[in-house]
This record gives sequence, C-alpha cells and structure tokens, in this order.
Amino acid sequence: MSNSSNISFISKAKLWVTNNPDLAFAVLLAVCVYGYFAFSNDLFATHRTTYAIMERFAVLGLVGLALTLCIIAGEIDLSIGSNAALAAVIVVRFTDSLGAINAALIAIAISTLVGLIQGYFIAYLRIRAIVLTVGTLMLLRGVSLFAAEEKTVMLTDFTIPDFISTKMFMYFSPASLLVIAVFVAVALFMQFTRYGREIYAVGGARKEALASGIDLKRPMMVVFSISGFCAGLGGCIIGLRSGTAQALGLQYLLLAGTVAAFIGGVSILGGRGGVIGAAIGTLTVNFLNTGLVFNVTPAFMVQLYLGVLLMVVIVFQTGSQMFDTYQRRQQVLGDVDLVRGELLNKKRESPI
Amino acid sequence: MNADAPAISRQPKTPIWLANLVDKYTWLVVILVALFVLTFAYGMITAPNFLTWFNFKTIIRDAALVGIMAIGLTFVTLSGNFFLLSMKETAALAIVAFATAMSAGYGFELSFLFTMGVAVVAGALQGILIGLGGNPIVVTLGAAGLFFGIASWWSDNLVISFRRPHGAEWLGSGSFMGLPNITVAFILIAIVAELVLRYSTFGRQVYLIGSNRAAGKATGHENFSMAIKTCIIASACSAFVAIAFSAQVSSAHVNYFSSSFGSSGDMTILVIATVMVAGNSIMGGFGSSLRSSLGAVFISTVDNMMVLHGFNSGPRVLAVGLMIVFSIIVFALVRRGSRVQE
Repeated sequence: MSNSSNISFISKAKLWVTNNPDLAFAVLLAVCVYGYFAFSNDLFATHRTTYAIMERFAVLGLVGLALTLCIIAGEIDLSIGSNAALAAVIVVRFTDSLGAINAALIAIAISTLVGLIQGYFIAYLRIRAIVLTVGTLMLLRGVSLFAAEEKTVMLTDFTIPDFISTKMFMYFSPASLLVIAVFVAVALFMQFTRYGREIYAVGGARKEALASGIDLKRPMMVVFSISGFCAGLGGCIIGLRSGTAQALGLQYLLLAGTVAAFIGGVSILGGRGGVIGAAIGTLTVNFLNTGLVFNVTPAFMVQLYLGVLLMVVIVFQTGSQMFDTYQRRQQVLGDVDLVRGELLNKKRESPI
Repeated sequence: MNADAPAISRQPKTPIWLANLVDKYTWLVVILVALFVLTFAYGMITAPNFLTWFNFKTIIRDAALVGIMAIGLTFVTLSGNFFLLSMKETAALAIVAFATAMSAGYGFELSFLFTMGVAVVAGALQGILIGLGGNPIVVTLGAAGLFFGIASWWSDNLVISFRRPHGAEWLGSGSFMGLPNITVAFILIAIVAELVLRYSTFGRQVYLIGSNRAAGKATGHENFSMAIKTCIIASACSAFVAIAFSAQVSSAHVNYFSSSFGSSGDMTILVIATVMVAGNSIMGGFGSSLRSSLGAVFISTVDNMMVLHGFNSGPRVLAVGLMIVFSIIVFALVRRGSRVQE
C-alpha cells in the first residue's frame, strides 16, 4: 500500500519535472545555492537569516516579478530602476507633510501611470520596448532629480521604518506579507484571466496573436502598468524602510531582477515562464546575496557573481535554442529525403 | 456648394511646401518638430555667449567622449544587434587596465596596446555570445556586471594614479591647431567610421546583415562573425575614450563613468541615447555613424545651452531625457509602417 503510493509519488514528480523543466532547474539551483551556504556557514540556516532573506525578497521579488512579466510579453523594461527611484524620492519627500500612506499611494499611482503611458506608446508606435524605456530611463531620472532637488531626501520621523520591519509570524514583516499578496494576485491574474493569457499569447507568438484579433495595446498596457506598479511599490518599500532616497540610486535593481527572471525560467523569446518561477528565481538571487554578505564579500563582487550567473543562464538557453533548431533542421531534412525517396520509387514504378 | 467654398478659400493659405510636409508626415509630427525647433532657436538666441567660436569649441569638446563611444555603438546597432549595455563597464575595465599599466611604468604605447587587447577580449566575449543567438541586451547586462566586478576587484576599488609627466599627456591636454587633441580624434574617428561604413566591403556587410539577416545568411554573411567584429569595434571605442579620459586626469577609478560622469547621468545610457536621438533604426540597417556624431553634438548643444541659462543638473537631465523620448516618438511616427520600423 505504502509502496505503491511511494511509486506514484515518484512518478508524479518525474512527470512534473518533464512537464516543467525550467521550473525544476530553478528549484534545483535554489536548493543548491541554499545548501552550499547552509553547509559552509552555521549562521545561514537560522530563523533570523530567513527573516533577512524575506526582507530582501520584498523589494527584489517585486522587480523580478515585473521583469518576468515583461519578458513573458517579449519585451524588457529598462526603466524599472529609475521608476523605483522616482517612487522612493516621492514617498520620502511627501511622507512628512501627507502621511506615509497617502504619500505611498501617490508614488505608486504615479509609477503605475508612467508604466501605463509607456505601454500605450509602445503599442501605439509599434516600437520595441527597449527603445522607449531607454529614453524614459533618462527622463525619469531627470524627474526624480527634479523632485529631490538634486539632494538625498530623508525622513524625519522614523516610526514608519520601524513599523515596516516589524517581525510577524517569525519570518515576515508587513512589507514582505504585502509583496507575497501581490505575487498571489498576479499569479491568479496571469493564470485565470483572459488578459493574463493574452500576455502569454503576445509574447510567445506575436504575429499569430495579432492576427487572431488581440489588440496589442491592451496586453502591453497591462504588462507595463503592472511593471510600473511593482517598481513603485518596491521603491516605496525601499524608501520608507531606509528612510532616505537618492534620485540616481536603485540602478542595480535591473541586473538583479533580470537574473532572477532568467533563473525563474523565462525565455528571451517570450511566452514562457511564470510567477512561481519569478519567486524561486528571486529567492535564489537572495540566497546568493545574503550568503555572500555572510562571507564578507564586497558589493562589487556580488555584481560580478550576478553577471556570471546571468551569462551562464544565457549560455544554457542559447545552447538549448541551437539544439532545438538543429533538431528541427534534421527532421525537415529527413522528411525531405523521405518524400524524395517516395517520388523516386514512384518514377521507377511508372512505365514512362 | 457651401462645403466647397471654405475649401477653395483655404487652399491658397497653406503654402505648398507645408502641405507637402503634412502629406508626408501628418500634422502631429510637423507641429511637434516646429515647436521643438522654435524652442531650440529661442534658447539659442537668448543664451548669453552661446553663439561664439569659443563656445562652439566647448560644445564639440564635450561631445567628443560620448561621440566616440556612440560611433562605436553605431556599428553594433546598424548590424541589427540592438545595443550594448556594457559600454560604461568596458570603459571602466579599460581605464583600470590603462592606469595600472601606466603606473607600472610601461609607457604610453605598451599601455595603449595592452588596454586595447583587454577591450578586444571583452568585446569578443560578448560578440561570441550574441553571435550564437543570445539576446544582446541580456548578454551585455550580464557582461556589464562581470566587467565592473573584475575592474573593481583588479583596482581594489581605489583610485590608481600615475605621475605627470607621462607619455599620454599629449592625448589628454595637448592641442592641434587650436583644437584639443580629443576633439581632433573625435572628428577623425567620425570621418573614418563614415568612410568605412559607406565605401568598404565591411561597411556594406554591416548594412546588409542589419537590414536583412536572412538575405545576409543566404549570401554567406553570418551574423556570428559580424557580431564579434562590431562588438570589438564598440569595445575598442570605449577603451579609447577611457584612455583619453585617463590621460586627461592622470588617474583611474571604476566609478569615473558611472552616474557622476558629465551632467546627464549614466554614460551607457547617454551613449545609447545619442545613437537613438540621431534616428538610427534600432532594428538595424538604417542610419549612419555621421548621424551618431551629430547626435552627440546635438545633445551637448542642448546641455551647453541649459548650462548657459543657469539650470541645475535636474532640469538638464530632464531636458535631455525629454528630447530622447521626443525624438524616439517622432522618428517612430515618421517611419510608421515602413520596414525600418518593424
């Protein structure tokens, strides 16, 4: 009895791995990274470190999620760091006069609106997102410099940073709980609503999706507003947690978020990947970040490791693409040979 | 009849050239561009000391460093490989390499060759990955982290300085016929790049692969070797800029090209913006290096004008960003539906 259930579990797991190779790879990588640090450092696998990892997850997870959605739609949002910096500057600047919640709502609204406008223009002008978002990257930097009056803005009241980092349920804080809620909402949205499926369609096969009657504007606007929302929320959390904000800061988010998205199994060709992958990818990056901090690694070395990780993932993906094309080509050649052979046989059989 | 009357009376009021322009580009574009030209002209006339020969030289000098990098990047963009997000980091790696070699006493020529060697390796690494089919944006984003990490690790995140007098002074602070040598280098590189792109076999191959990759492949011009070549050119241009900058300040640090450089933020983004502000098609095959050089001069002109008007860095970055977004939108509207756009 127990034996049979055991077998069925293993075969189920096998089936799952075959069905989700990217996700399986992500889980494997996450477990490996966590295991390495847990074994090499006694302090790593403790409750407190887990709490620290979840705190990091609050910000990086949002960026990873935003970039995952963008890459699923076949685009990439380069302006995400600037957008987050803008939100951080706004929220820190206006918290004293308006209260933290109002300031955060305003900042998130502005970031979402920026994303929405970007999405609209990308669809309306039929340009690549990278083209427009490089422009908005600079534009938003200018806006946040303008909003911060070229200074580092600071909070005067530090009860809010304390509240945001309050420990809840051992591992969580209000910020990370909020982020997990966002993850669940976006996952449900992507999986079960028509708009979410449209995003997959537009990313995986844009021409076919457009030909079957999807208006490019809607998925693009949805994706980029979610991206703007995530950037805004992330910026608010960073700004309120640290109590300061710089207009030119937060540019490292793009690299870390991209690494997280790619570990989570998105394909640069679009249409693949998902929210669970984004979460696992971000956790992997956070394990790496936190573990390296434990080993007293300077910040630039973290960047180096992230760069290497991204390159490795890209090499794997490119390799599998090349293998796919090779296989398809072989198959086509085989089919051609088959058809040609049949034709020759027919010629031989026919009397003329 | 009533409907005809206003049409007839309106006919002579719009001049022919304006009507033609509107026919070709739609009202929106014409009005946007006219507004922009008016603002630009107004700023130019009202800025004190703007229209002087000295200020003109300043503008070109400011444009030189970004311009040289932009010319290098143009090759990549024209060959259809989007752009490299690692320009700044390649320059950081090169500046550390150059200063290390100079402070070790190897002299200018050897240090120059060494730095170029480093840049070629860096470019080739990215080029191979891009040529194999990796997405240029993602590959170079990873490479950027890698190069920056290597450069910081190599220099221990410290300033490396080498004493004057050194062999590179002529490049940093020398001048030729009243123009600084860096400006002269910018002009020479711009001319050479334009000639190469326009008249050499290699240049035509760049355009071919950029405008129609399938046709390029069918005629035996694979993107693999082209990506490597163009990435090496872009990296070498970055390294040259790094050397020129290092020769000027006789020192090196990995953060020289980060956000504090110049007035308009990040060097990489500024270079990409320069390439795009000039209207080079990001999908490849359309544009020229002359456009990029003029784009650099243009951005530097706007920046200069706003400095003369006494603006802080915030409004200046804002203006440059607005200009970039503006030009992207205008070029997209103008080319709507053409093959260049898709």
